[in-house]
Amino acid sequence: MDQFLDQVEACVPALRRYARALTRNIDLADDLVQDCLERAIAKRGLFRPTGPVRAWLFTILLNLYRNALRSSHRRGQQVDIDTVPELATPAPQPGHLALAEMARAIQTLPTEQKEALLLVALEGFSYQEAADILHIPAGTLMSRLGRARAALRLLTGTPAEPHLRTVK
Amino acid sequence: MNEITRDMLMAYADGQLPEGERATVDAYLLANPEAAAEIAMIQRQNDAIRTLFGPAGAEPVPARLRPRRLAAEIGPRRIRSWGWAVAAVVLVGLGLGMGWFARPLFDARPASATLIADAVNAHTVYVAENRHAVEVGSDDSEHLSTWLSNRLDTTLGMPDLDAQGFALVGGRLLPGEPDTGGRAAQLMYENADQQRVTIYVTAALPGGEPAYQFTAYDGAEAFYWANTRITCTVVGTLPQEQMKALAGAIYAQLTEGDVNSGRPYRG
Repeated sequence: MDQFLDQVEACVPALRRYARALTRNIDLADDLVQDCLERAIAKRGLFRPTGPVRAWLFTILLNLYRNALRSSHRRGQQVDIDTVPELATPAPQPGHLALAEMARAIQTLPTEQKEALLLVALEGFSYQEAADILHIPAGTLMSRLGRARAALRLLTGTPAEPHLRTVK
Repeated sequence: MNEITRDMLMAYADGQLPEGERATVDAYLLANPEAAAEIAMIQRQNDAIRTLFGPAGAEPVPARLRPRRLAAEIGPRRIRSWGWAVAAVVLVGLGLGMGWFARPLFDARPASATLIADAVNAHTVYVAENRHAVEVGSDDSEHLSTWLSNRLDTTLGMPDLDAQGFALVGGRLLPGEPDTGGRAAQLMYENADQQRVTIYVTAALPGGEPAYQFTAYDGAEAFYWANTRITCTVVGTLPQEQMKALAGAIYAQLTEGDVNSGRPYRG
């Protein structure tokens, strides 16, 4: 049981990171993680000690996130993305993507694409693990990733390979 | 030579392509700068995402997110409240269960009596009709069979009563008891003397136990039986011996195939 708590503890930084990237709000993200941990600890009897704790925790976190999204939609607190004021964008630096632009672009992705992209690109889950966490077939995950990346490319105005030319 | 798919390129960029396919893509990329650029772009996106959000994972974890502390705080409380919740669920469940099983004790009229009454009512109403005795005539008996079978959620063949001197007039769908799917089918037969007999069929009762009953009801003779698939009531005003012969023939044909009538037939 203590070993279980150790395993959970080791995952907390990653859960915070993922929740922060999903919500873009420190307090909301930590509330989400706390809910997730409480639930996981209360339900630890249901968990097979041999399975991957990390994937299980992310599954719980995502369920809580979706529930919260649903109820905030119901309460009408969701702010339409079009009404969000533009963030100040630093002038694009040659050689790397403008980060603020990227951050804004990620926020405009549909939730399902954002969830998938962040599991793979940020948390480094394998495609199969990410698909399991999201309860979708691996093929569906791949297509969500593909669409997310195409959208990001469009939104950040990144042509296929601009930087080689800039450098020369 | 394997075809290079977009998914393969993406997996390559994410470092998730199986060892064996990596060399294939490497070779492909040498000849396809556009694909190489695509991969570079995905990798730059990944880098940007990690640069943006990575630092959140390196921050010191607040005390409220320490699993040991959470376990100490919520463990016993949660377990106690769970205990109460479980107890409440069990008690409510017991109450409902006992209520459900005691239901027949309080329900003075057995289900068969209700069904027989419905069957006799339907019989009385429709045998008196001439132009609209049935909804679908016997000339379309195949459609009639399919239609009623679908509505009752079971196979309903039209019994052949030629040997008894009765021919199918047709049938109709009727509202039925909620217990038996809320629908009933009525089949009507007529002999040369224009005497009419009806067969009233519903889906099986929830209990599904076989039952048989021969009874006089409201001036009509009714023969009722139930099995795990259907309930059936034959209604007519013929002499009892003739009714019995008809009921026997109908029973034999409608239960055909119901060899294992002790076993649930549906679902």
